[in-house]
Amino acid sequence: MSEKQENKRRYTTVSIPTTLFKKIERRIEGTGFTSVSSYVTYVLREILAEDENGKEPFSKEDEERVKERLRALGYLE
Amino acid sequence: MVNYIVSGLERSGTSMMMQILKMGGMKVAYDDKRPPDEHNPRGYFELEGGKIINRLIDGSFPIEMYDGMVIKVTAYGLRYLPDGYDYKVIYMLRDIDEIMASMSKMLNENLGDEDRRAFENLNKFALKIMRIREDMEYITVNYRDVIEHPRREIEMVNDFLGGVLDVESAVRAVDPALYRNRKENIVKEVNK
Repeated sequence: MSEKQENKRRYTTVSIPTTLFKKIERRIEGTGFTSVSSYVTYVLREILAEDENGKEPFSKEDEERVKERLRALGYLE
Repeated sequence: MVNYIVSGLERSGTSMMMQILKMGGMKVAYDDKRPPDEHNPRGYFELEGGKIINRLIDGSFPIEMYDGMVIKVTAYGLRYLPDGYDYKVIYMLRDIDEIMASMSKMLNENLGDEDRRAFENLNKFALKIMRIREDMEYITVNYRDVIEHPRREIEMVNDFLGGVLDVESAVRAVDPALYRNRKENIVKEVNK
C-alpha cells in the first residue's frame, strides 16, 4: 500500500457520551449502517457538504424531486 | 485495491464512459436486467437493473465483490458508497439543458425549472461530497469534450487511472451520432 493510501485510511477516535452512542446504535438498527462510526462519519460529511453560509446545496425539497424523477426514469425503486 | 466508479447525473454520458473503459480493457461490471433501448442503444451498463442506489442505501450491495472493477453509481448514490474502501471516480459533466432535454424525452414530459434546479443542486452536492470524502479521488470529464476530442479526453482519463487503458481501442467507443440532444438544437426548437 502506498504512503498516500495509508494516509487516506488513517482513522482517529472521537469521544461522544455513552448515552448518545447507545441512541445511535438503536437508530441504525435495520439500516445500511454497519457501525456507529460509519453513521457518525456519514452525518459529519453531510454537515461539511453544507454551503459555507449553512444552507444545504441540495435541500430536502430538491432531494424529493430528484427521487421522484429517478423513480420515473427507472433508477430508483 | 480500488473500486472504480463512473458517476454523474443521469443522461450525462455515464454509459458512454462505461463503454470507453470496457473497450479500453478495464473490467467493467454490469448486468442485462435493463436492456438497451432507443435512449441508450448500446445499453445502460448498470448493475441491479439501474437500481444499485437502493441496495447501497440499505447496505446490501456487495461492493467488495467489485474490487478492481468499474461500476456505475450515478450522482445521487455517491453519498451511500460504504466506508472502508478506496474509490476512484470518473464524474461526467454535461450541459444541464441537454440533460433536461434528454430526461424529458425519456419521460415523455417536459421537465421544468424546479427539476433543473434540483438536478443542478444534486450535481453541486455530489462534487462537494467527492471533495470531502477522504476515500475518494475523482476526475471530472465533460461529455461534449469527449465527443469533440475523444483521444485527448481519454488520455486524460487514462492518466487518472494510472495508464491502464488501451487508448486506441477506447477511442472507438465514442460515437458522435449518439450525441442527439445538443444545446444548439434545443435552442432552435425553442425558437421555432
